[in-house]
Amino acid sequence: MIDLIHVTKRFGAATAVDDISLSVAQGELCVLVGTSGCGKSTTLRMINRLIEHSEGEIHIDGQQIRRFREQTLRRRMGYAIQSTGLFPHWTVARNIGLVPRLLKWPAARVQARVEELMALLGLSMEAFAGKYPHQLSGGQAQRVGVARALAADPDILLMDEPFGALDPITRESLQDELRTLQARLHKTIVFVTHDMDEALRLADRLVVMHQGRIVQQGRPLELLREPADGFVESLLGGEDRGLKEAALLPVSQRMLPLGPRLLARERIGQQASLREALSLMLWRHAERLTVVDDDDLPVGELSLRRLVGARSDG
Amino acid sequence: MRTPRPAPNVVLLILALVGLTAWLGLESVSVAANRIVPGTGYRVVEVIGGGALLVTTLPWLALAGLAWRPSRTRFIVALVIVVLMLSALPAWLALSAAMLVEGGQARLGIAAGLWVVFFLLLLAMIELRTRLALSRLVGWALLLPPVAIVGLGVARWLSALALWQEYRSRSDQFLGALGEHLLLVGAAVGASLVLGVGLALAMRRWPGLQRVGFGVLNFLQTIPSIALFGLLLAPLAWLSAQVGWLAALGVSGIGWAPALLALVGYSLLPMVRNTFVALEAVDPGVIDAARGMGMSRSQVFRQVRLPLALPVILEGIRITTVQAIGLTAVAALIGAGGLGTFIFQGLGQAAMDLVLLGALPILVLALLVDALLGALTDILRPGVAE
Amino acid sequence: MVEWRRWRVPLGWLALLLAATLGMGQLEGVFRWIESDSRQVIYARADFLTLLGRHLLVVSVAAVLAILVGVGGAIAATRRWGRDFLPLVSQLASIGQTFPPVAVLALAVPVLGFGTLPIIVALLLYGLLPIVRNTLAGLEGIDPGVMEAARGMGMSPSQILRQVELPLAAPVILAGVRTSVTINIATAAIGATVGASNLGDPIISGIVNGNTAYVVQGALLIGLLAISVDSFFARLPLASAH
Repeated sequence: MIDLIHVTKRFGAATAVDDISLSVAQGELCVLVGTSGCGKSTTLRMINRLIEHSEGEIHIDGQQIRRFREQTLRRRMGYAIQSTGLFPHWTVARNIGLVPRLLKWPAARVQARVEELMALLGLSMEAFAGKYPHQLSGGQAQRVGVARALAADPDILLMDEPFGALDPITRESLQDELRTLQARLHKTIVFVTHDMDEALRLADRLVVMHQGRIVQQGRPLELLREPADGFVESLLGGEDRGLKEAALLPVSQRMLPLGPRLLARERIGQQASLREALSLMLWRHAERLTVVDDDDLPVGELSLRRLVGARSDG
Repeated sequence: MRTPRPAPNVVLLILALVGLTAWLGLESVSVAANRIVPGTGYRVVEVIGGGALLVTTLPWLALAGLAWRPSRTRFIVALVIVVLMLSALPAWLALSAAMLVEGGQARLGIAAGLWVVFFLLLLAMIELRTRLALSRLVGWALLLPPVAIVGLGVARWLSALALWQEYRSRSDQFLGALGEHLLLVGAAVGASLVLGVGLALAMRRWPGLQRVGFGVLNFLQTIPSIALFGLLLAPLAWLSAQVGWLAALGVSGIGWAPALLALVGYSLLPMVRNTFVALEAVDPGVIDAARGMGMSRSQVFRQVRLPLALPVILEGIRITTVQAIGLTAVAALIGAGGLGTFIFQGLGQAAMDLVLLGALPILVLALLVDALLGALTDILRPGVAE
Repeated sequence: MVEWRRWRVPLGWLALLLAATLGMGQLEGVFRWIESDSRQVIYARADFLTLLGRHLLVVSVAAVLAILVGVGGAIAATRRWGRDFLPLVSQLASIGQTFPPVAVLALAVPVLGFGTLPIIVALLLYGLLPIVRNTLAGLEGIDPGVMEAARGMGMSPSQILRQVELPLAAPVILAGVRTSVTINIATAAIGATVGASNLGDPIISGIVNGNTAYVVQGALLIGLLAISVDSFFARLPLASAH
């Protein structure tokens, strides 16, 4: 659990972060989003004291971070960054084992942990353990970066635009993996990005920053429905907001139970998003879809009127 | 379908044809009655006659032929031919000695034609090594057969060679000079390594030092070595006259003291520059990650920054050492000893073979150090993309 | 006005060099103090201005030839028709820099004899290397996107060379010329041992005769010459971009 209480950071005369308060609950994935220079990275780096805050207090599990030695504090948190920061002169396995070795784990335990993490992130031991970072693709390197951040099983994970340099397809698959991982591991994650789609996909809590201040925070849907001001609204995509919201809602939330009518020909999974459902309707010129479960058995139906949220089915 | 005919390798073709011309047209060896009188030059045909001459053109023509329609296999064959030709050069010298040299004082010199041929063959070897993408180490290994043949045959069949005679008449001096040379270079590089790394670290700590430090070192590097040796002469002579224990140490205006001082001065710039740049150039993302993972300051330096900087620092040591080998030769002028002594003695006596006795080992030394430290740098570069 | 200010430092060094060259005789008192044992304390076999002139001449001739051959050769090796020579030329330029200048100078003598010619040839050969190497690096280092764009706009190869490649590579080439000239000023001085008459003369003669005053005079002038020339190069407009 992380608490920032009236935290301010000044660099000389410039104020990078201006009196922000934020609290990230245990197991929550909190995304800081905003344009470049808004102070989101600075905020993240103050949490592990790569940057010292000027005013206010930062607490980890109720204790002031200044109570800890810097290095002890950092070894308790995972840290993943856009450029990966993998050590180019170390193999993948050695890179991943870095923090456990800093914590003086016995060699056998480090080895076991490295194997476990590589399996967790889908990196085969034979193919990757002995490779050097420059032999990896961007996506693979970033997986290693995440594995290294998770190595000592920290409660807290700090991620600074970790997927920012990847192509869209790799980025999406890594975002999915992060969500899957988070569902299993329940870490407390602070994640910085300037990509709003990424933020909406990942966030439990979305924190919008602008000019060093927090403009608005809340669940993604709350922000989409009630943006605090024009800035948040434009950041959320303006006229695309409806589609962004639809992307966050599952079909199961709007579908009706199977009625007496014939099943519609087009089918969609109940876990798919409303956005996907809408896209399918547009593409197939269909006003109704049959909703199916994981075993492809019909469980309900979705009409265009229901999808757009009209009160009753006509 | 026929594969298109490969284009000729123009480089090898030209090298082979120019080599052949030099072999036929220029004087290959010379014979002198003693070490001072200029020798008489002999072309190949004058040594072995027309019939045998035709036979010796064959490997050149073979090279040209192989270059005309190149392929990997043909390049390998060409490389073997070049190595064999290089190995045959000492044999050619031995043959010439047997045919031409009579009497105890007479000696055999290597004339322009043979130097040109030797040089062109080396070029051909470099060209083939590059085309075949062989590593530098393999390239050096290819020189072993000719060197081995020289080593085995020099005392027995090449005793008439002027260079060998110069060596034999002062073999003790030669070893002494070699030792002095290496000692000076080693001391200068060692001292500048310690000082240079210290200075680079200080510059990182106090950035104000950078401008001044690099300013002074750049300035020093600009001053010609002979001038710096000369300018140190007066103050050092004065110092040793004033301070008794300095004189007792052997410090004086001439000799090893000004040489070492100047050598260290020159060596500092490449050493400091490479060390500084190497330490600064480490990817800030890597350092950020290292700190973010909770490595201490000294862990970041020892485990991340230093190992990543090491190849570039070694590069600095290589540049410095090669430079110091050459500068030490100049230091012979102020009585510091070393192989340069032979060069300047030889120039003074117009004894060209004595000049060679100094210049060739210096050249070989520089190339050897360059190759060894280069290989070491490659070894210490795991995981870093070329 | 601003243009003139740029050259203040090199002009200052140059003035100092000229003053030292012309006024060395006035410093007799100082040298008398350095070398109290000798009867003559000012080098007199030739006047310093002549020595300076010869030194500059040898270095300039060698430098001009080295620039013509070196830049020309490197350009040729990077054209389509000369590409075959590129690997050999660049290997040679980098191996050649391992050769100590003194060794090159010494090796030139057996082949070319004593005098000014072997020095010019040795300086030319040795001075070629940094120029070739830097010209290659400058030309090869140009962003391929820029070259692609130049071709795409319909520029001819010679237009690309003159308007794109050479201007972009100029700072790197110039740095090579600077290195080459600096080394050659030093090497030319050693040339005094192989019979050239230049600023190295007083040094060699002073060492041979045990006259420290001669040595200091020669060393002072060579040092000033090297610093003047280097400081001119440092302030060339193109060099600052590098």
